[in-house]
Amino acid sequence: MYPKPLTYKKAKTLDEAFSMLSQNDDARVIAGGQSIMPMLKLRIASPSLLVDIAPIRELHEIRLDGNNLTIGAMVTHREIIESSEIGKNLPMLQETARHIADVQIRNRGTIGGSICEADPSADYAPTLLALDAKVVLKSSREERTVDLDDFIVGPFEVNINQGEILTSVIIPVNRSPYSVVKYARRSADFAVASMAAIVEKKPDGTITDIRVAVGAQSDRPLRMKELESLLKGQKPQKKDLYLEVDKAVEHLDPIDDIHGSAEYRKEVTANILKTNLGSLIFGGI
Amino acid sequence: MTKVSININGEKYSEDVEDRTLLVHFIRDHARLRGTHIGCDTGHCGACTVLLNDRPVKSCQILAVQADGESVETVESLEGSDGKLSIEQEAFRDHFAMQCGYCTSGFLMMTHHLIREYPELSREEIREKLHGNYCMCTGYQQIVDAVQDAQKKFNEKK
Repeated sequence: MYPKPLTYKKAKTLDEAFSMLSQNDDARVIAGGQSIMPMLKLRIASPSLLVDIAPIRELHEIRLDGNNLTIGAMVTHREIIESSEIGKNLPMLQETARHIADVQIRNRGTIGGSICEADPSADYAPTLLALDAKVVLKSSREERTVDLDDFIVGPFEVNINQGEILTSVIIPVNRSPYSVVKYARRSADFAVASMAAIVEKKPDGTITDIRVAVGAQSDRPLRMKELESLLKGQKPQKKDLYLEVDKAVEHLDPIDDIHGSAEYRKEVTANILKTNLGSLIFGGI
Repeated sequence: MTKVSININGEKYSEDVEDRTLLVHFIRDHARLRGTHIGCDTGHCGACTVLLNDRPVKSCQILAVQADGESVETVESLEGSDGKLSIEQEAFRDHFAMQCGYCTSGFLMMTHHLIREYPELSREEIREKLHGNYCMCTGYQQIVDAVQDAQKKFNEKK
C-alpha cells in the first residue's frame, strides 16, 4: 500500500515549518509517523504536502520549569520510558508509555503525534487528562496554550488550525499514588477499555484529591468529573464506591465494534474502575 | 522525486525515489535486498523490522525520505563475510524457531537488537518485547527458546 503521491519536506526550524505549511492549505505535519503513516497508506488522509518536524531540535526537549514538566512534541515513547526526569516527576506518564503498542512503534512514535491523532482509545489521553496536561500550539502569528480536554474534540479530531503545530505538552509535576490500566486482547492493541486515576488521601482515609479518566468509552477520552466530585472529601465504603462507579459507567457511550461490544466495554470499565480505584482508596485489592 | 541516500549494511545506496516510497520498498526494490519482508503492510506484524540507527523499526511505516542520511541494518547483515551463520541465525535453526520462514527476518533483527540491549531477559520479558512480531505458523515457544539461547551464547562470547 502506497500513500497517494505527495511532496515531502524536512523543516529544520519552526519558522521553516510555518512557512512550508503556509504555502499549502492541504499540508500535514509528520512527526514520528506511527499514526499518520497508516492513515496515509489507507488513504484516510491524503495531503499533497508532508512537513517533517523531526529535525527541529527544540521539539525534542524534556524540561522542568518550576512545577511543570514540558515535553516536546517529538519526544518518543521510548524516550519517555527512559527519561529519569519523567521517572522522578511523572511516574504515571512513564508507566503509560510502557504499554503503548510495541518496541518498534515506541522507538518512532511521539507524544505529540499520538495526541494529535486523537484516537478515542489511545493510551496517553486518560493519563494526560488526569494529570491536567495542556498543549502548546504555535503558528507564525501566535502561540496558545490549551487544556487537553478542550484540545481533543472528537474521534480523530483536534482543535488545531491549519498552519499551527503542537510544539509541546505541559504537565504539572505529580508524584501522587496512581493507577493506569489498559485492557486489550493483546497488549500491543488499542484498548477495549482503559483508565487512569490519581488519589490523594489523609491518613484517616478522607479523599483530598481524586482524578479519574477513561479511554475507549466515548467519541473521545473522558475525565469523570462527576464521579470525582462525589468521592472528593469523602471517606467512602467499598459499596459506595461500587455504586457510584456503576452509575457513572451508565452514562458512557462506547462504540460497538469487533474489538468489543458497547455493553462489554462498559462492563470492563466498571470492573477496572472498581478494582483499581478500590485499591488506591482502600489499599490492597 | 527526491534523491535519497541510505547506508544499508555498511554500503551506501543513493536513488531518486518518489517521496511516497516506503523504506521497505527502498530496501527491497532499490537496494535489491529481499530478506526484509512485507507482511501485513499495516504496522502490526513486524516482518519488515529493520534496525534504523541501531533501533528496531517497522520499515513499512516509514518513508524512505525520512531515513535519508541514516543507517539501516537488515537481515542480510547478520551472516558473516565467511558465510557463517550469526548467533541469532544459529539459535533459530537449532530450536526450529520457524516453519514457513516469512516472519523470521523480522524476528532475527529483533533478537539481534534484544541480546545487545539487555544482558538478561525472562521468557515473559522476551514475549513482551516481541509483541510487535507475529508468527502465524510456529507459535512462539520455540522463538522464545531461540532468543534465550542466542542471548546466552552472545553473553558467553562477550
